[in-house]
Amino acid sequence: MKKFSILIIVLLFLATFTNAQGKLYNTLIKGGRVIDAKNNINALMDVAIKDGKIAKVAQNIDAAQAEQVVNAKGMYVTPGLIDIHAHVFWGIQPNSYLSNGDVGVTADGFSFRSGVTTMVDCGGPGYKSFDTFKRNIIDKSQTRILAFLNIVGEGMRGGDYEQDVSDMDVQLAAKAALDNKEHVVGFKLAHFTNPDWTPVERIVAAGKLADMPVIIDFGGGKLPIEDLFFKYLRPGDIYTHVFTELERRDPIVDLKSRQLRPFVIPAQKRGIIFDVGFGGGSFNFNQAIPAIKAGFLPELMGTDLHTGSMNGSMKDQLNVLSIHLAMGMSLQSVIERSTWRPAQAIKRTELGHLSEGAIADIAILSMRQGKFGFRDIAMNRQEGTQKLECEMTIKGGKIMYDLNAIASNVKK
Amino acid sequence: MRTISFLFLSGFIFLAVFVQAQSKQYSILIKGGHVIDAKNNINELMDVAIQSGKIAAIAKNIDPSLATQIVDAKGMYVTPGLIDLHAHVFAGTDDRGLSGGFSALAPDPYTFRSGVTTVVDCGGAGWQSFDRFKKNIIDHSRTRVLSFLNIVGDGMRGNPYEQDINDMDAKKAAEKALANKDIVVGFKLAHFAAASWVPVERVVEAGKLADMPVIIDFGGDNTHAPLSIEKLFTQYLRPGDIYTHVYTELVQRDPVVDLNTRQLKPFLIPAQKRGIIFDVGFGGGSFNFNQAIPSIKAGFLPNTMGTDLHTGSMNGAMKDQLNVLSIFLSMGMDIQGVISRSTWAPAQAIKRPELGNLSVGSGADVAILTVRNGNFAFKDISGNRNEGKQRFECEMTIRNGRIVYDLNAIASTSAQNK
Repeated sequence: MKKFSILIIVLLFLATFTNAQGKLYNTLIKGGRVIDAKNNINALMDVAIKDGKIAKVAQNIDAAQAEQVVNAKGMYVTPGLIDIHAHVFWGIQPNSYLSNGDVGVTADGFSFRSGVTTMVDCGGPGYKSFDTFKRNIIDKSQTRILAFLNIVGEGMRGGDYEQDVSDMDVQLAAKAALDNKEHVVGFKLAHFTNPDWTPVERIVAAGKLADMPVIIDFGGGKLPIEDLFFKYLRPGDIYTHVFTELERRDPIVDLKSRQLRPFVIPAQKRGIIFDVGFGGGSFNFNQAIPAIKAGFLPELMGTDLHTGSMNGSMKDQLNVLSIHLAMGMSLQSVIERSTWRPAQAIKRTELGHLSEGAIADIAILSMRQGKFGFRDIAMNRQEGTQKLECEMTIKGGKIMYDLNAIASNVKK
Repeated sequence: MRTISFLFLSGFIFLAVFVQAQSKQYSILIKGGHVIDAKNNINELMDVAIQSGKIAAIAKNIDPSLATQIVDAKGMYVTPGLIDLHAHVFAGTDDRGLSGGFSALAPDPYTFRSGVTTVVDCGGAGWQSFDRFKKNIIDHSRTRVLSFLNIVGDGMRGNPYEQDINDMDAKKAAEKALANKDIVVGFKLAHFAAASWVPVERVVEAGKLADMPVIIDFGGDNTHAPLSIEKLFTQYLRPGDIYTHVYTELVQRDPVVDLNTRQLKPFLIPAQKRGIIFDVGFGGGSFNFNQAIPSIKAGFLPNTMGTDLHTGSMNGAMKDQLNVLSIFLSMGMDIQGVISRSTWAPAQAIKRPELGNLSVGSGADVAILTVRNGNFAFKDISGNRNEGKQRFECEMTIRNGRIVYDLNAIASTSAQNK
């Protein structure tokens, strides 16, 4: 009898406790198809969120256990997308291009409406301007902002600044990166126009000192990319603008034979990582289509977002993914290349997946069917029958964007 | 005979050379779209031809061989470039809110993808900060940026600046406006919290001095009963003055729909007939279905469809100009109604009748829109939901005769038609 009363007390306690705690989950995403490359999931699953973290991924989680239910029927539920190549160091400093100038864009205006929760600024700040970048951009954005630090101290200020080899200081760049490890994920070299390997040597030296990858925009020196991949870069280093066809750049698809050059897949096997970096002038179907046909897929789907690409052929992250769908890549493949693979490339393996306990950064996407058209930067046209649309973006458990009001109101 | 053949021959050669030199008659021809041009009372299938940045012709079946570039607008609406009467684009990197601060947004990322070619910054700059606004934003934007100058000299800098009546100088504001008539279209009063009519008097005084309209965000706070909007409309504002955030339901604000009866207050339609202009000004906290739906049912439609774009509204219920228009479709307004309220109506409200229409000879600012059919839903700022069957999508935006946005590559490349 005494034991029985104790049981009652325990039960009462539990009931009170549950009541005080409220619901088991804050948000429950029901009925969507989860694509989580890290965990090898591509199936109908519910996703439950509690305290900003993924609490559970399973089939048929009870809706009564959640304060708020998101109806994702017919939609895809993926980790929040990671744009590895964005330019968000917006500012009003005159003539400062992508480093506190007005060619950069406001991150939050592009990220959430496109399913993106993390943006890596690709070389906007250098070690001299990183503090300004942190104060004006990182601290003021709701998007998670990371950075490839420019090897040029002044950052991506354009013109002569980026040609100044004497401002490419390995020690100071590595120190700034290590002092800001929370935000800096590697180093960027870009726009260097002379046929000189020194900048590449400097940036790789900085990458070695800080134990971080480098990402290369291969300027205009017409240096051979084969040498770059095999003599200068390390496995894990990134080559961006991979599908560019420009006079001043050594292309991956031979301009005469229109075949993928024989060393590119071996370079990928060696561990060189290839990023799209679409931008305003860096994506050509004439390169991408033969490359993909030959079995060469980019690892990363960076947008190279800035004012010169935002309203052009590039537009936004989902448009870049849709273009790759139009060229025959699968949905699973383009999602993996904008979630788990970029997370690994920047050594942020806590991002880009939906493991239980992970940060609840989530994109919910619809696949529209219809007749769509896409352009490259040379105005060539490619038709497609599918287009991704962002229905909802969740960052750290918080709904940041809800296109069609698919979230119920919160019930405690 | 020789003379005749000489004349004939030389005339022919001249014509051939002329046509060759001219190459094509039109730079862009938009074919097969449904044109909505409220000013010219057009609401039907028409082709639109552009040359040298201007509308060159509007007619049925314009010959495509006359144009360098063809835009296939079959199944789409072709409208004047949209005018967002209420945006906050005085972006900057100082802690200055909507006046050179982080809450405002440089316009080009938000305009062209939404069919907008003109934005009116709604009070970001005051007379003291206007020059900076011009230098940092207006001169760097491809969007046409106009301005309602804040009656507060320091602009929309947040508190306590916006509460400082001493900084509301009607003369200086009017002087700045008149010195920048190409950009300034009126004056803004916003966010004033205390129960005083002085700020309203000051902004109207500036409006009278410069012969420009004023636009009022009727502030208020929780320490006093809201000032009466009936009084505002009948005793303070002039015909042509604008009241924004018309469908707000907030404790500190006198609403257009009575909170008890849920009926439109009787003085609203008379105020509108008197010439007061009502702007949506959706924003992050200024649009409630509980106000809008009964108003529209009672026949009280907004005159202009301002977004109140800023960082606090861009990812929320508001999103962008086309989402705002789609919300009004979902409440029963028709396509022509919402288009005219975001083209010709705002052009008239800011006294820029050269904008917001597709008259031959006017600047070629054009939006090409699709109306998607499906199951869509929208929220207001208090989380209420409204379902709709239609959603606008921007297919193309043309600014000053140049294609600045093309969602689905509907423009032929110039080379294909040469």
